Amino acid sequence: MTREEILAKVEDIFHRVLENQSIVLSEETTAEDVPEWTSLTHAQLISVMESELNIKFSLREMMSWQNVGEIINSIEKKLG
Amino acid sequence: MNFFENILNPVRKSIANFSDRNAFYIDGTFYSYKQFAERVSAIRGVIRAAEKNEQIWGLSLHDDLNTYASIFALWMEGKAYVPLHPSWPEERIASIKQQVGCSNVLDACDAPYTGDLLDDWAEASEDDLAYILFTSGSTGVPKGVQLTRRNIAAFMDSFWKTGIDITPEDRCMQVFDLTFDVSVQSYLVALTRGACVYTVPYGQVKYLYAASLIQEQGITFGAMAPSMLTYLRPYFEEFDASSMKACILTAEACPVDLMEAWYGCAKNTEIYDFYGPTEATIYCTYYKLKRGGENLSLNGIISIGKPLANVQAIIIREDGNLVEGQEKGELCVAGDQVTPGYWKNEEKNSSSFFVRDGVRYYHTGDLCYWHESGNIMYSGRIDQQAKIQGFRVELGEIEHHARTFYKNERRVIAIAFQNAQNLTEIALFVEAQAEDTKPLIEYLRTQMPAYMIPTRILFEPTFPLNKSEKVDRNALKQKLN
Repeated sequence: MTREEILAKVEDIFHRVLENQSIVLSEETTAEDVPEWTSLTHAQLISVMESELNIKFSLREMMSWQNVGEIINSIEKKLG
Repeated sequence: MNFFENILNPVRKSIANFSDRNAFYIDGTFYSYKQFAERVSAIRGVIRAAEKNEQIWGLSLHDDLNTYASIFALWMEGKAYVPLHPSWPEERIASIKQQVGCSNVLDACDAPYTGDLLDDWAEASEDDLAYILFTSGSTGVPKGVQLTRRNIAAFMDSFWKTGIDITPEDRCMQVFDLTFDVSVQSYLVALTRGACVYTVPYGQVKYLYAASLIQEQGITFGAMAPSMLTYLRPYFEEFDASSMKACILTAEACPVDLMEAWYGCAKNTEIYDFYGPTEATIYCTYYKLKRGGENLSLNGIISIGKPLANVQAIIIREDGNLVEGQEKGELCVAGDQVTPGYWKNEEKNSSSFFVRDGVRYYHTGDLCYWHESGNIMYSGRIDQQAKIQGFRVELGEIEHHARTFYKNERRVIAIAFQNAQNLTEIALFVEAQAEDTKPLIEYLRTQMPAYMIPTRILFEPTFPLNKSEKVDRNALKQKLN
């Protein structure tokens, strides 16, 4: 998958999990930009990303994420 | 024991003795006690210069040094604050300001520092308010819990008598929203002992930021809600919390198996379960867990332990008489930590407080009983008790079995509701994507009598939370309509 395709996939997951189709993600988007993206929904987002992309994130990776671009870095690395 | 001796003077001593040490770590920046003191002095100047000399000030909450400094500036001026959260709807903020009658608001006050104002103390009585916390009211109008200087001083005195010790070397975590009173404990224990407060900035995924503070900054003490640990639990194997010497779990019922799992990464940590309604100032009972030992629990939930030093507790029947033996009843608390009452709300005050043998008690609404060891066992809210076909049903027990079915990996909430025929039924909410409910029901049937089996099972991907970050049972109940 290209970075653009990963971004589109992540955005699709955000739409479904946060039940808001109008969310537009960019690589710079942070939790502060998306009101529905809270501690609680984050766990749900991670679980759906992991199951649909067949990957597993580590705690250290998740703690280092500052924005959506850094989530995409992790996914890109895992998908090889 | 008073507000000056237990709060203000210890903070002044921290400033005097540790001026170059760190008082705060906020969003990646350290601030020394000297910087903190300068902000307190600057904001005191603003309060003194206000056109209207009001006793209660609004405080717009931000995760910044000025917000914390504003709290102490107001207290040193003998005033109280009412927290106003920028994310609240304007109507709610207006309603609170109108109820309290305050027009002055400190909002990220960055007035310049012009001189030290730390050795000048305003006259104040112990009965003067320190803060008012507004919580949602059943009528839709927020209700304000008033906490006095006496309440906070008594709380602090109680807290140190639990044996938890904080030194200037400690790194203390503050993860709670400032509208929630555990935040007050979180910053007070650090600042009164010259330690550093590490905050979680707004807009962060809280449990991940807290985990990174623990691992990367070597946090030594902190209070957390069990739900934060629930989210971290899948990662416990790779999580090193060995820097923590003490950890308080609070704000919601504390599952015993979660605590035992938490010991695996909090290898050097004393774990405490603290319980308390805002009305009794932050906490009123506590239980210290034993590592590798037998911990008292009921339906998988840790005991809430024994009353704090300045709290008297009784458990009463519906008729107001004391329970006998291990009979369940309502926990009621008294003492210097108990609020003088709700702000201008006579109706609520007359129903929430009562006098017995000359002592004024607060009805906690929590169903408890005395264990033979003298610890209090928590059995849920009184309004979580339902009568089904004449049988008394404790919703906590249904939740316990459902949690066990899900191997403690999912949150569940049981709610009693009236159906169209005005009969009581039980609904069970499961925090998960929808799935076949047959295996769950079959399991529950092996554990409970037929009348206790929920008649409706609903799946919610994420449970709604209230401002105190507890599962919002009312919001779930509304989904049943």
